Amino acid sequence: MAISLKESVIVGLSDLWSRKVRTIVTVLGIALGTMSIIVVLSLIKGVNKTTEQWLQERGGATKLSVHRNGEYSKPHHERRHFDFKELRLIQSLIPEVEYFNPSSNQWTSHRAYYNGNEYWPQTVGVFPDFANIEEWSVSKGRFISDFDLDAYNDVIVIGSTAKTKLFGNEDPIGKYIYVMDRKFQVIGVMKRRYMKARSEIGDDNALEYLNSYCFVPLSTVLKKISNDERIQTFDVKVRYVSEVIPLKEKLEAILLNLRHGHPIFVVESTKEEIERSMQDTIIFKAIFFIISGISLLVGGIVITNIMLATIQERTREIGIRMATGARRFDIFIQFLVQTVLTTFFGGIFGVVLGISILDKVAAFINMEVVIDVNLIITATIISISVGLIFGIYPAVNASNLDPVKALRYE
Amino acid sequence: MQDVVIKTVNLDKVYDMGKHKVTALDNVDIEIYRGEFLAIMGPSGSGKSTLMHILGCLDTPSGGDYILEDHKVSKLKKRQLAAVRNQKIGFVFQTFNLLPHLNILKNVELPLMYSGISPAKRKERATYILEQVGLGDRLRHKPSELSGGQRQRVAIARAIVNEPAIILADEPTGNLDTNSGSDILNIFSELHDKGNTVIMVTHDPRVAGKANRIIHIIDGKITDGDIA
Repeated sequence: MAISLKESVIVGLSDLWSRKVRTIVTVLGIALGTMSIIVVLSLIKGVNKTTEQWLQERGGATKLSVHRNGEYSKPHHERRHFDFKELRLIQSLIPEVEYFNPSSNQWTSHRAYYNGNEYWPQTVGVFPDFANIEEWSVSKGRFISDFDLDAYNDVIVIGSTAKTKLFGNEDPIGKYIYVMDRKFQVIGVMKRRYMKARSEIGDDNALEYLNSYCFVPLSTVLKKISNDERIQTFDVKVRYVSEVIPLKEKLEAILLNLRHGHPIFVVESTKEEIERSMQDTIIFKAIFFIISGISLLVGGIVITNIMLATIQERTREIGIRMATGARRFDIFIQFLVQTVLTTFFGGIFGVVLGISILDKVAAFINMEVVIDVNLIITATIISISVGLIFGIYPAVNASNLDPVKALRYE
Repeated sequence: MQDVVIKTVNLDKVYDMGKHKVTALDNVDIEIYRGEFLAIMGPSGSGKSTLMHILGCLDTPSGGDYILEDHKVSKLKKRQLAAVRNQKIGFVFQTFNLLPHLNILKNVELPLMYSGISPAKRKERATYILEQVGLGDRLRHKPSELSGGQRQRVAIARAIVNEPAIILADEPTGNLDTNSGSDILNIFSELHDKGNTVIMVTHDPRVAGKANRIIHIIDGKITDGDIA
């Protein structure tokens, strides 16, 4: 007995067609709302991806770093650095970690020269695990080994920029360079690190600073070059993200014990850093969500209004349909389908509009955007839902009309 | 023994206007037989339209019973009333009440659509009926492109397309000139001759003259039931 959905869609389409201007205005309202949702969601995805990529480049979510605690100001007589024996002790206390790497002070540049070429790289003493923690490898030669560490070898692995500055096109492997007035044999060249910078200020490579680094065995630095070279930081890496927090607590306990209860050092995890950065973007997200939500809400209210006006205009038609046998449900569906069709078209149009302006928006506010199919589906579903939600009230109103009164309506 | 199509028992309709109540129908008892051509006459405000709406299942009585083909329709729910309007009743209005944005074929298809008949079948059926009322060459025309008499013929086609038990006509010639009016009346006479039950509300004695029975209604009461 009931009129089919297909039938309702056909009736709805011809109704919409017979009121073109009104339909276009309504479709436009929803299209703008959907467009803003597409743009906002893409921007948020872009921000998340950039942040994630950055943190991934910095060692991923399974990395923990121990630093000096700059905020601790109470007077104490504890050492502010680690000595080699202490490091070995800590390493033996945390056998669950996959990689362990202490680094010497990274913040000073030392003059390096080869064959008349001069460069000021940052030279860092490291363990062989450094390459594993940073997920970074050599493009040529080899990285520092345990043998180099145990033998205090005078070997050096240079960054790609350091290589270019010192050697040009020459093969550096096996050559000797002078750093900190000492002769080192070049055993490897690191792969070039690159990540597109978010900002156009300065270099477009956010990781360029790493390419100027040079690496030597930590033992060599401590023993042969600088007795006062202090180790104030080390990194560890576990296999699984779930191990991060337990290990962090354990490390904090060990470090407190070593310094008689003074929190000289802090343990930071990339995982927490990721979570913190997500927290930072939450307000940003919320604001954008509210804005696009409001624009859809406005679109929805406009639709409710237009449908109410349409139904009032068509009161007599509803009466005629009822007199010829339309059930209340038929009338309800007829108008609901019209609303949903409108928002569906608006949604599709908005998605197309959103995608087409995305690049320009991204360029304008200088952020990366990520668009995917899920997003398109989400936006379309949201716009259809708006039609459903805001179409129900007018449709119920229409279906509740009294046939006699509706027929008499002028 | 004549077959009773419509029977009302103590039918009341009272409109609650807040302070006072208006009685539109007062204890109306009528019996209408299958195949009758009945005219309901009365001055305006007499309650004849209200009676028409109740007989047409567009409205429900405040009291009493309305029995249509052995079904107590006064007790039906709105959803069931819609089905009765669709299957058992064909309406012809004074103002035609066609949908202006649909062509006349689509207009006539409406009751068939609400009975769930497939598009192909309803097109065939509606075309046939429109040919019967002499509009076979105007199928794609909008109502606004037709004369009053033609529009009323479309309305009649729509009323009979589902082969209802009764045809209800509310002042069907009221908006027409004399010539088109008699055309329309002739169509109703033909329908009656073919065995249809026709109930017509009118205040025009000439129109009522076509009927084989006239009942008068004044102040919501049936005053007589002459057989013409």
